[in-house]
Order: sequence, then C-alpha cells, then structure tokens
Amino acid sequence: MTVDTRFAADAAAHRRDAPRFCPQCAGGLAIATEFWEADDRRFYCSCTGCGWTGEITPTGAVAAGHEPDH
Amino acid sequence: MLTAEQNDELTQVDAGTPMGEVLRRYWYPVAFTRELAEFPVKRVELLGEFFALWKSPSGRMGIVPEACPHRKASLAYGVVEADGIRCPYHGWVFDADGRCTEQPAERDNTQFQDRVKAQAGKVEEMGGLIWAYVGPMPAPELPRFDTYVMDGYRDIGWADLPCNYVQIMENAVDPHHVEFLHGRYFEFVGKHEGFVAPASFGKEHVKIGFTAFEWGIIKRRVLKGASEENDDWKVGHPLVFPYNMRVGGGGIHQMQIRVPINRTTTRFMLYTVHSPDGYEHVDQPQIPDYKIPVTDANGVHVTNYVEGQDIMAWVTQGAITDRTTEHLGRSDIGVAMLRKMFREQMDVVARGQDPLGVIREQHERIDLPCEKDKFHAGGAQFALDFCDMGSTRFSPVLDTIKKIHISAADKIAAEKAG
Repeated sequence: MTVDTRFAADAAAHRRDAPRFCPQCAGGLAIATEFWEADDRRFYCSCTGCGWTGEITPTGAVAAGHEPDH
Repeated sequence: MLTAEQNDELTQVDAGTPMGEVLRRYWYPVAFTRELAEFPVKRVELLGEFFALWKSPSGRMGIVPEACPHRKASLAYGVVEADGIRCPYHGWVFDADGRCTEQPAERDNTQFQDRVKAQAGKVEEMGGLIWAYVGPMPAPELPRFDTYVMDGYRDIGWADLPCNYVQIMENAVDPHHVEFLHGRYFEFVGKHEGFVAPASFGKEHVKIGFTAFEWGIIKRRVLKGASEENDDWKVGHPLVFPYNMRVGGGGIHQMQIRVPINRTTTRFMLYTVHSPDGYEHVDQPQIPDYKIPVTDANGVHVTNYVEGQDIMAWVTQGAITDRTTEHLGRSDIGVAMLRKMFREQMDVVARGQDPLGVIREQHERIDLPCEKDKFHAGGAQFALDFCDMGSTRFSPVLDTIKKIHISAADKIAAEKAG
C-alpha cells in the first residue's frame, strides 16, 4: 500500500483519537470509521461484543447549543 | 479513515487471515462452462492460491490445489481421466474428493495412497459458469441467485483489474458516484468525443439510505423529481455479501461479480440477463463471454462507457487504497456500514459460525430485491442506454440484445394499443 504523505497528520490524529471502547459494554470496539461533517469528526463504531453500533463525535470542552429560528 | 492495521485486516484474502477465512466460506465462479468443454483442465487462481480445475468425459468435475502432493508438479497440466486427474509427472491420480486412487510407480504392497489427500474443493455448473468452493467442509449449497437461473438472453463481460476487491465493493454502497462519475464526467467525456451521455445517470441525489438484510446491504436513493414511492428507494438494489452486487432495470438483470483472485487482482464480471416484459425465449447453446477494455494502447483508461468509468475510479485508488489518509463524509456512510459488516463477519467465522449469506438449505432459486424502473428513466430507454453506453456495447451479441429489447417493447405497445 502506498501511503499518501500529504495527510500524515490526519492519519496520526485518527490513530490518537479513534474511540477504543464500546460505550455500552466497555469491550474493545471492532472498528471505528472516521468521517467528517462540517467542523465535526465523527466515528462510525461497531462493537462485536454486544452489537452496539453508533456514531461518536468528540466535542472538546465546548458544549454548543442552538437557537431556533426567530 | 481507518488505522493501517484495520485496512490491512480488511483487505486480506489469504488463508489464515480473518478476512481470508470469511472469503473461504463462499462459492466463486472460476471458469466459463465453455472453457472446460474446449479443454478439460484449467489453472485457476482464487483467493491468492492456485488450483487445477478439471472435468472428466463423463461430466464429473473437481478442483484441487495445483501442486501435486507427491513432488509438487502442476496438476493443471494433468491428464483428465474418467474419475479424476492424473499428475503428468509420475501419474498419481486424484478423484473429485481429493482421494489418491493410483500411485503407478509404487508396488502394490507398498502403496501409501490412503495417507495422501489433495484437499479437494467442490465444483458445480450453473448459468454458463463453473463455480468452486475451496473452504472447510461440509460445503454449503451453491446459492442459486435469480440472475443465474431465470429465463432470458445472456452474456458475460469481464476484465481482470489490478486492485483489491474491497474498494470495488465499497463502490456498491456509494450511490452518489453515479451522479458524477456516470453523469457529469460522462457528459464531459462525451463533449470531447462527440457523443451524448445518457441524461438519467446525471440526476441529482436527494436522499440515500442503506438497509442490512439477509444477503448483504440494500442501497436506496431518491433522485430529483422522484419520491420514496419510486423503485430506486422503495425497492433499491443489493450488495450481495461479500463480493457481488445485483443491479438491473428496463428488463435487464445483472449480477456484478468481483472475484478476489489475489489481494491485488480482482476478476470483474458482468453477468447480464436480458428479459424484458414481452420477451420471447431465444435459444442459447453457449453463453458468450467477452473481455471489456480497461486501458487503451497508451495505457490510458477507457472511460467512454459506464463500467470503464467505474474501473478507472477503482484502479486509480491504488492496488490497495490507503484508507489511513482518506477523507470520508456523511455521504460515505454506506462505506462505513460495509466495513462494519466485513468486520462483524470476521468475528462470526472466528466463532465457528457461518457468515452472512452462506446457505445450507437446498433451494430452487433466490430472488433478490432489485428495482425495475431504474432512475425512473423508462424501461426500454434505460435498456437501450445500457446497451449503447455500458459494457454491452462490446458484446459479440449486441445486435441480438437490442433487437430483443426493441421487439419486446413493440409487442407490449401493440398489446396496450389492441
């Protein structure tokens, strides 16, 4: 496999930040595919231990709300 | 984006690897029926291993690892006999179950043939293809998917592609690519080469969705001007785990087959059945197969037809695409779902269970869900676009196929008018 060195920092960030444990059973996650949406990094995760599947989105220190249209 | 370890695991095909063990639970097409009629033994590469595939004059078929257990000469150069294949080097014979039945150079009282077995797989013929199973016994049933057993007029296009099969399978859960690769890009190529690309392929996607089901993943889309009541969403079409995709529309039924020959070579096959409403049976003593172009004389990808565009995208991703530095978006969620499915099935096999889509019950036919009114383009028009703008344009029976669609459409129109 030829590694695309232009994005080595993204690969390193993925390796550092990808969730490792299932939020339901705390077992090791089988796979966490990272995708991006606007400013978010999202991880589509699957636990082969308990079957939990879901997305995990790191938020950092900020808990952002939203305002309805008015 | 995955880790390097996950990408490595996902793309393995060799025996003893988690994914290689999953892949060894399925049947694969390894030859055209006509090939063994022309010459009764063929060297076959499948899942990174070489085999000798043979068919005896009485119709018995077998597949064994290529290297003779005696001194490793190739059984693919063997002599096909009534009940097995004879090694060309010293004449040992192996039957369809892999039993050694003769060791001619050994004295009768010193033979050790019962101690040497060739680890044979299973072989069956279906729909103009020879299918092989080379995994652990007992072998499951060969799935009789609708395309292989339905009435209709057939042809098979194929090409060997220099890339891992997983990136081809990821394309099967990527609806958006149609709008651009077969829409905008097709238009661009057409402008430069002097043809008009089919309008239906460039329709804008409004919504996409994926549903896991017993054979894989159903892919759904709503295109601009349509709704969830249209076939593209209501029915969709399936990725058939782990190496097929069922597509169709306009009276065309197709299985797109992606056989992992080895880790970086995939045999891409387009098994197509033309069976529009109003179809009248046409005899086919032999199903024609034909190679589809990948690159031209200068090594440049041929992209003026639908599958050539797909091939360009798959192959230019690299022999094994670097998933550690890709950048997926929400529109790639089907790709993430497929990776999850692959990963889950590795664990299923590790637990000693059958993975998704392995069938052990005898059956006549498996009907797969597949939209009929594809891209709400109209049946006959979609079929003619498919013939002129897809790989069928290279088929040796193109004219017959077009006549079948036109006469079927005329017949239906006449019935409606009458």
